[in-house]
Amino acid sequence: MIAIIAWRNVWRNKGRSLVVIGAMIIGIWAMAFGGGFMQSFLTSYIESSIRHETSNGQVHHPKFTEDYDIQFSIEDYPSILTFLQQTESVESVTTRSLVNGMISSSRQATGVKIIGVNPKEEALVTELNTLISDGAYFEGISSNPVLIGNKLAEKLKVNVKSKVVLTFQDIDGNITAGRFRVAGILKASSLAISESSAYVLKSDMNRLLNIGDNVHEIAFTTISGTDDEALANTLQAKFPNDKVESWKEISPALVFMEQWMAATLKILIIIIMSALAFGIINTMLMAVLERIRELGMLMALGMKRVKVFLMIMLETIYLATVGGPVGLLIGYATIAYLGKTGIDLTDYSKGLEAIGYDSILYPMLQPMDYMQIVIGVITTAFLASIYPAWKAIKLKPIDALHTI
Amino acid sequence: MSTIIKAINVSKVYHKTTIPVHAVNQLSLSIEEGEFTAIVGPSGCGKTTLLNILGGLDQPTEGRVEVDGTDISIMKDSELIDFRLRNIGFVFQAYNLIPVLTALENVEFIMLLQKRGKKERHDRAMELLERMDIADKANSKPSQLSGGQQQRVAVARALASKPRFILADEPTANLDSSSTNNLLDLMAKMNEEQKATFIFSTHDQRVMDKARRIVTLEDGTIVSDVKR
Ligand SMILES: Nc1ncnc2c1ncn2[C@@H]1O[C@H](COP(=O)(O)OP(=O)(O)OP(=O)(O)O)[C@@H](O)[C@H]1O
Ligand SMILES: [Mg+2]
Repeated sequence: MIAIIAWRNVWRNKGRSLVVIGAMIIGIWAMAFGGGFMQSFLTSYIESSIRHETSNGQVHHPKFTEDYDIQFSIEDYPSILTFLQQTESVESVTTRSLVNGMISSSRQATGVKIIGVNPKEEALVTELNTLISDGAYFEGISSNPVLIGNKLAEKLKVNVKSKVVLTFQDIDGNITAGRFRVAGILKASSLAISESSAYVLKSDMNRLLNIGDNVHEIAFTTISGTDDEALANTLQAKFPNDKVESWKEISPALVFMEQWMAATLKILIIIIMSALAFGIINTMLMAVLERIRELGMLMALGMKRVKVFLMIMLETIYLATVGGPVGLLIGYATIAYLGKTGIDLTDYSKGLEAIGYDSILYPMLQPMDYMQIVIGVITTAFLASIYPAWKAIKLKPIDALHTI
Repeated sequence: MSTIIKAINVSKVYHKTTIPVHAVNQLSLSIEEGEFTAIVGPSGCGKTTLLNILGGLDQPTEGRVEVDGTDISIMKDSELIDFRLRNIGFVFQAYNLIPVLTALENVEFIMLLQKRGKKERHDRAMELLERMDIADKANSKPSQLSGGQQQRVAVARALASKPRFILADEPTANLDSSSTNNLLDLMAKMNEEQKATFIFSTHDQRVMDKARRIVTLEDGTIVSDVKR
């Protein structure tokens, strides 16, 4: 009967209870949605960074990464290549030669990272071909084609088929220049690609650099679910003269971002939970204070304090258990729906793309995350119920009865 | 008839300001089984304080109260709660009933706290509501009942726990004269039929007239004790 009394007490002041329940629903929804949104932000960012930039792992000469000195090409790269091609968890591999140089049009000149690629393998590894927004992927130009990012093209005021000159030092320290023609324009959210890279054929590049067959970089992708760090370690042990890194080492920023997002989500949850807790405590304290005489009467009649405590706690928990599942359900529905259709952020995508995000996000939340929210809400409700219940049993029946 | 309550040299002193208030002063009183006793006296004479002490809701500053030979003035809080549940029925001036429960549930509730069986609870509650002439309102919430009807339910509840005695502090204070008469008549009936012991306080001359013993207080002491 205490359960019944508690349940009916919840509905004594319908308006007030509904406000708290409503707040819970919104709070839980916000947590679920916020969590899902951030998760998708993160995943989309990391996946797109791996896909288009870092790949799952890279190999360099240990000294090359320091200052892009083209002398330091990968030692014994064919055997690494063969090994990677034979590794089951490796999806695709490509090799590149790299140099920092200048790109100039008839109007402008600017610093650029020049990347010599094998078009076919590069397409498999970084899907570079999918980024073409104008022109074609190393096609339509008879000799010395180059792909540049859209921002770079704007800066240089060039179009497809325009002439550009790439200038850099060859292996002997001589300044070399090559005439190239823009085969295609790349549109990417990554600034590195859209603003400061020029892709040429590796064969053209190596000829100008005078480095023969050598490469500076091997990049590989892995099938999903691969432990990229473990693979990198295995590879490193096998080829100690070169430096093997997984995406986490190549781009510590991604790892930091992962942690930062997790921390932000925690803070968000703590804020929402505390707001909920205070809402619940406030409501229940009001409910207790309003009923001082009644509670006094119950204790005067002989209702044990434990039972009074339990009753007030139950009332609080009922409030939470009505709001909790509803909020969770709405949150789940929102995420399930938006997870399919995606959230189109095109209107804001200028800013987002500028910092490297895709403009359509697919929110998602793991079952574990839902569990965490459920546990969080129950714990919050439970903790929030203690103080009002404590207040209630601290009443002395005689004083409570005489309160006006 | 055996003695149920024995108050021996009971005093209660409040120190609200610097001047001590002797709400009850060196008072001794015995209540026998089956009594129908009114505690009367001017406002502030100590009626409520005395009833609270007899009911184990308040501790005397001095003296002791024995119920069936057990000293309740030395009991711990938690023991007192249990003691009240098993031995004392209460009817308060107002706010007697749990607003979210029906009349029937309110009467059953006290027996539930006593851990009585479902059928016994229901049957006894219905029977008492019938005796108190309020069975037709068994399924009404307190807010749907008049003040007199609420007090009748409260008396039914007080009886339901089969207490040794029932304390009622000004049970008719909020009632009009016909409801007052009606309630007192029903209480008197229960006193006879169920051999229930009633101790109630009042200001009301008509209520005093129904009592079979009138204890008059003044400044916390008994100035007259008349049995009729
Ligand atoms: N909690 C308290 N603190 C201080 N003084 C109190 C307290 N309760 C009662 N008193 C004082 O004790 C005296 C007796 O009060 P009590 O309430 O017992 O009188 P009463 O006979 O019930 O009066 P009434 O007929 O107005 O209900 C009064 O002088 C009152 O002011
Ligand atoms: Mg009084």
